[in-house]
Amino acid sequence: MDFYLTALLQGLCLSAIALGIYISMKIFNIPDITTDGSYTLGGAITAKLLVLHQPVFVVLPVVVAAGALAGALTGLIHTKLKINALLAGILVMTALYSVNLTLMGRSNIPLIGTASIFSFINISADFNHNVFWTLVAFVAVITVLIGYLLKTDFGIAMRATGNSESMVRALGVNTDRMKITGLALANALTALSGFLITQFQGFADINMGIGIVIVGLGSVIIAESFINWLGITSVWFSLLLVLSGAVIFQCVLAITLSIGVDPILLKLVTAVFVLLIVSLPRLSFKSSA
Amino acid sequence: MKILKYLPLVFILGLVLSCNSKKSDVPVVGFVDAFEDATISQARTGFTDALKKSGFSEDQHTVKIEYRNAQGDIPTLTQIVNQFVSEKVDLMGTCTTLSTVSALQKTKTIPIFAMVSPTPERMNVVSSTGEAPANLFGAVEELAYIDTSFNIIPKLLKPKGSKLVIGMIYNQSEPQSADAMNRIKSLADKANVTLIALPLNSSADAQLVTKSLLGKNIDAFFANPDNTVFASFETILKSCNQANVPIFTSEAGLVKRGAVAAFGADIYQWGYQAGEQAAQFLKMHKTDGLKWEMVKVRKRVYNPEAAKKYNITVPLNFEAVK
Repeated sequence: MDFYLTALLQGLCLSAIALGIYISMKIFNIPDITTDGSYTLGGAITAKLLVLHQPVFVVLPVVVAAGALAGALTGLIHTKLKINALLAGILVMTALYSVNLTLMGRSNIPLIGTASIFSFINISADFNHNVFWTLVAFVAVITVLIGYLLKTDFGIAMRATGNSESMVRALGVNTDRMKITGLALANALTALSGFLITQFQGFADINMGIGIVIVGLGSVIIAESFINWLGITSVWFSLLLVLSGAVIFQCVLAITLSIGVDPILLKLVTAVFVLLIVSLPRLSFKSSA
Repeated sequence: MKILKYLPLVFILGLVLSCNSKKSDVPVVGFVDAFEDATISQARTGFTDALKKSGFSEDQHTVKIEYRNAQGDIPTLTQIVNQFVSEKVDLMGTCTTLSTVSALQKTKTIPIFAMVSPTPERMNVVSSTGEAPANLFGAVEELAYIDTSFNIIPKLLKPKGSKLVIGMIYNQSEPQSADAMNRIKSLADKANVTLIALPLNSSADAQLVTKSLLGKNIDAFFANPDNTVFASFETILKSCNQANVPIFTSEAGLVKRGAVAAFGADIYQWGYQAGEQAAQFLKMHKTDGLKWEMVKVRKRVYNPEAAKKYNITVPLNFEAVK
């Protein structure tokens, strides 16, 4: 069961990305590719600062600020220069590769004997259990903050921007600013995932972000299918489902691995699994409708 | 029809609960590969052959080798290592740097037999007191071998102009590749050779970067053996052959694939060496007397066809690759 626990932990580490993608994709309808870069950015800054013996509470705000900056940049390029959101994300992601490499100074930084967010809670003798409680607390705080934010006037304006931009603009809301803020928020969350994963796996690598947007999207889409299936309208429930989407996505990978699938077919089987999760509710929907 | 709605949940639960691993007294080896590659995979063959020779073979059910490949995906790599740690495998075989680093970060107790990986200092995994991790075994490589490989080139080639110009590509995303490039740069300065090094981040850009190097009128191409070069070697070879530029390298497998000559580790033997250590551990059930060691088998090899094409006379101490 220990193995599934690590999958759960990895899912929790990646749930911040899922929340980020949920904001950019579901709320603004912007497919944000910046994710691949800002996730590595979070990891790179974390590794670099921890190796320089900075305490975790210094690293955390720096990571959030850097992620937000990357997202804001994508937002600015998209809104002010009128460049397609997808391209804006790709541009920033590409540029971030060099930024990350410059920050790290080398392509892979292992963390040996450095501070870590997982050393604060010591309830159990088992390291993984402590990590679990730390992550639960951490993710709970993030989720509450995001959930609260989406409930405020600002958050409602943000959600409305995604639904009908022209109407919101007619109400006198600056939609450009909304998008920039939203993307900054999404990428700050993504960088947080990088921050968590780097400490969880014990190293940062320049390639860690490749394809990570797929993990976030997969989580959101799994959550989406549950949201539709169970007919959920509450923001809180939606966020919870997005979190569990991230965990389910990692568990699927874990199951695929533990069945002992031929490594060549690993990705295919994972894709089929996710397809099953997403499509089965729809199939049964149709038959019962 | 309400029941049908929840069918998928039941289905997934059933799946999760149905895969329970059975414990037997056969030793279990977890083998971690980070990505697929024709040359790199020889290390795994060498590793299993060495185990077989010591009487641990999969066919006779005297050992169970669980092979996992992350297909170049770091989250998957972490999952794989986690799985082996939680299954409490007897030992792990890790192929290439990234697998070794991941495994070292996740377990301090399970012995890790590394192959195709650099020294602990190069991987940056030594503690503040300069100690390598206690559970690291296997065969590793330092950068010194590059000197020999690189210094072969001025001996075998006459420059077209006044100075020998050597081109190379290196992968920014691999520590040892960037380290090797810096080392070669300093070697080139000493040997009065001009080095043009271009960075490459993925094998997709290989052709473009190689072409741009070849446009700079280089005398020879040094293929620094890293993941991107392994993956895109055929492209590099084709472009270099068209431009009549010989390729030198520091890995025997690439000579088989068409480079002129090399002095360096043989990937198969590298895996074999790590496998011998692993077999010794499985026999004794303890790690006494084992430690990580340098790769033993380094060969001077050349490719007869390529040498003939470029009219290069290879010294007698080089053997032809089969």
